[in-house]
Amino acid sequence: MRYILCLLFFVSITVSADDDGQWLDSLQLHGFASQGLVFTTDNNFYGDSEHGSAAFTELGINASLQLSSKFRVAGQLLSRHAGDMDNGSPRLDYALLDINLISSMKGRLGLYLGRIKNPLGLYNDTRDIAHTRQGVFTSQVIYFDKVRDLTMSADGVHLYGEYILDKGTLLIQAGLGYPIPDENVEITYLGQNWAGSLESNRPAMVGRVMYEHDGGRWIFALSGASLELDFNAGAADAIPIVGVNSGTLEIDYSVLSAQFNGEKWQFTSELAIQKASYIGIGGLFSDADTKPLGFMVEANYKWSPRWQTYIRNELFYLDREDKSGSEFNKQLQALSDSLGGALPVLPAHTRYSRSWIIGTRWDFNKNLMVRADYHFNKGTAYISAAENDMTSVKENWDMFALSLSYRF
Amino acid sequence: MTKLLRCSLIIGCLLIAPNLVAAQVLIVHPANNTTELSRNTLRAIFAMRTPQWPDGSPLQVFVLDDSDSTHTSFCKHILGMFPYQLRRIWDRQVFSGTGTAPITVKTEQEMLERVSTTKGAIGYVLPEKVDDSVKTLGELL
Repeated sequence: MRYILCLLFFVSITVSADDDGQWLDSLQLHGFASQGLVFTTDNNFYGDSEHGSAAFTELGINASLQLSSKFRVAGQLLSRHAGDMDNGSPRLDYALLDINLISSMKGRLGLYLGRIKNPLGLYNDTRDIAHTRQGVFTSQVIYFDKVRDLTMSADGVHLYGEYILDKGTLLIQAGLGYPIPDENVEITYLGQNWAGSLESNRPAMVGRVMYEHDGGRWIFALSGASLELDFNAGAADAIPIVGVNSGTLEIDYSVLSAQFNGEKWQFTSELAIQKASYIGIGGLFSDADTKPLGFMVEANYKWSPRWQTYIRNELFYLDREDKSGSEFNKQLQALSDSLGGALPVLPAHTRYSRSWIIGTRWDFNKNLMVRADYHFNKGTAYISAAENDMTSVKENWDMFALSLSYRF
Repeated sequence: MTKLLRCSLIIGCLLIAPNLVAAQVLIVHPANNTTELSRNTLRAIFAMRTPQWPDGSPLQVFVLDDSDSTHTSFCKHILGMFPYQLRRIWDRQVFSGTGTAPITVKTEQEMLERVSTTKGAIGYVLPEKVDDSVKTLGELL
């Protein structure tokens, strides 16, 4: 990251020396602030939501500066408080140099260098900005908030191309970058925060091909990421059978997206297919490879430019070959029995979730917006072990969430 | 039968009429030598995906507010899009760092002033607002 900042500094110095200072006119500043309230009948999401949680605050500010016709720099600072999943400490969300290699009336080709948001699905790159989301939360079965940092951004280089065709536009972005794992990733994929830690030693591949037909009336996208994280076990982790060893976690992630954008109606559907493999970690994870699957479909109706209502159905299986989670539960129970009941057994419903969500959005003006969602949930796969004792979470639970959001 | 035909003709005209009346005019800086642009090129320009004119000079896009009726009907009839689609594209670019948003002006008068004084500028106004300070672009290809 330090090299990238040096590079950005160098470029800005050279360009500003060449120019007559007009580039400063191109400075664009934008930002956002959002506060949410979450209430659940059981289980915790974004804080102590069973008693009503306000631990859902998002703040961000960004700048973009066109240095010359070939170079542009942009960066965003983000603070996000999300219950016990995120404490709100500010971080560099993206910081990149945009190099325009070729540009014509038929399209353009360029490079992004630096910390880049991963282009996954239709929403990953702007998932923290309330105004651009589909509800109070992003769809939790496609864009899991409990492992958001892993898919959020990466330090590396992306190539992008935009081709203006007769009937539509083809947008391609792909590249390599080092993912940013945190303890949420460890808790999600390795069950708890071990003494050891996950490290990102190899660049991950990420890419998206998107086709916007007829000015975006129809949008189709295929995106994917493939990454490897090394787990370096701590001395205290090497417990026989139920411990973990040093090894590698491999994650492949693909998202298929389709959207129709009409004057009143908008329909969206996304399918996420994942594969998580545990290599050499052994112990509890010696036979733990999973094939998660997430699917969402949503209809949104605009009563007026200011008022819209949506209904969404979501489903998620942590392992699509064990949709009910009963196989997993049975194996864990058998292992626990063989150890004399020493191992906590997670209920089968921690392996799936199905939800119906209805919500509405009101825009006071182009900057200020309020939203309310009601979620009917069955299963607990998308809530985090960082906020819940997963052995005692309830299978059927409802959630009501509100948010007030500002952007400029 | 003729009555029915006449009725449908009148209804048809009424349905089409607002589209004809509300046709906005594309305006560019007077020194611009472009004469025509295809609809898809225009979409790319207003989506902020085309940084330069064919001669390499930087492109500067001006728009009215999302809720402005001239903007709404410009999006619908000239671009064949809805304001929320453009907003979504700009937001994606601005908040992911991959691009920028156009400059929003408050009135059509300001639109004329900014387009006439900014090199590489493009914007739109209602036909009756056009004056000699800007150049208009012709029929869509």
